[in-house]
Amino acid sequence: MRIRTILNQDFENLPRQEEGKEIKPKMAFKKPLIIFASVFGAVLVLLIATAVFMSFNPKDNSTGKIGQPTPTPIPEFKEEITSPSSYATDSAILKSEEEIKALDEKIQKTDIKESGLNPPVLEWKIEFEKN
Amino acid sequence: MRIKLSKIILLLFVFSLLVVFGSLTVRAQEFNFDRANSDYLYNYNLYRQSFNEYVVAKEAYLKYETLTSKTEALEKTRQMLRNQDEVVKTYLTALRLKLAETSGISDYEQNVLYLKLDSEIAWFAKHQEEANSAGTLEDLVSSAQDGKDQYQKTEVLVYGTLGAIIASKETALREEINQKIKELKDKVGEIRLKGDKNTALAERWLLEAENRLTRSQEKQFAAQQALSKIKVNNSKKAEDYNKAQFTFEESHQYLKDANSYLREVIREIKSAD
Repeated sequence: MRIRTILNQDFENLPRQEEGKEIKPKMAFKKPLIIFASVFGAVLVLLIATAVFMSFNPKDNSTGKIGQPTPTPIPEFKEEITSPSSYATDSAILKSEEEIKALDEKIQKTDIKESGLNPPVLEWKIEFEKN
Repeated sequence: MRIKLSKIILLLFVFSLLVVFGSLTVRAQEFNFDRANSDYLYNYNLYRQSFNEYVVAKEAYLKYETLTSKTEALEKTRQMLRNQDEVVKTYLTALRLKLAETSGISDYEQNVLYLKLDSEIAWFAKHQEEANSAGTLEDLVSSAQDGKDQYQKTEVLVYGTLGAIIASKETALREEINQKIKELKDKVGEIRLKGDKNTALAERWLLEAENRLTRSQEKQFAAQQALSKIKVNNSKKAEDYNKAQFTFEESHQYLKDANSYLREVIREIKSAD
């Protein structure tokens, strides 16, 4: 049955290949796709490798040093006057404010103990007798 | 020709005098408290070393009782005593320079302390010479005893001087705060006269600041009284001095309070009613 069907074909009227046109093989369409996929894959592998490497790198600063305590930042208290008076910008008041601040620093820095000047400890007792 | 030569010689003489005088002035300027304190610490270190050597030489002499060990003990003891006197001299010099650099002390009090400190330095210089000329161990033992007796007096002077230095610092700070109080009082008075702001709270802070200054003065006076009670025969001089120092610290705390109240006055003036 199958052989008969083949034999009955009209071989003369089979469609011809147009002149100047080459029939491209199916693999030729896949080549750019393969290049794109391989480049994409390589980039992906590189990214993953970088991510893995960074996570294991102990010198990475972004993760912070483990075991080294850092001081807790203490918020500095700043006086904020929400409703200022007409004297808030008075030059004499501002001058006094600066002077009082400077005086405050001076008071804080003053060494009131003078512990470095305590008299020296000296051994005055000298004897040459057997105990 | 002869006149020219004499002129040149005269000029050279004047120039050399100026150079010598200038270098002496520079040297004198360089000798400040820091330098004197370094000298004192250096000499104290030398003293500690010589004291250890004295102990070793003494032990050797007591053990062997030979002429060599006795000579060695004599030399080491003499060296230790010389260094001990040098420590006291350099310490007192440092203290004197500290006193000179401290402001707020009256000229009279400063001069009296200078005289006393100089007298002590001279005593220990003389004592050092005596130690140099001591020929026997007995002489050195006697010399050390003299030094011990004198150092009892020196300690009283030292604590008195330290008290004067601290008190003068406190007095200077108190005067500055007092000046600020006066200025702010005038300003608050002006504002009250204008009548565009209520000054009651600012005036209250000023009053509190004045009270703190008075308390500070009282504490300072108490500390000075305690220092004046330290006597030569007192066996707990250092303890008494520490107590007085604590009272000075209390006085200082009142100064801090007074100044913080002045900041409140400024805040109050700058804020609207």
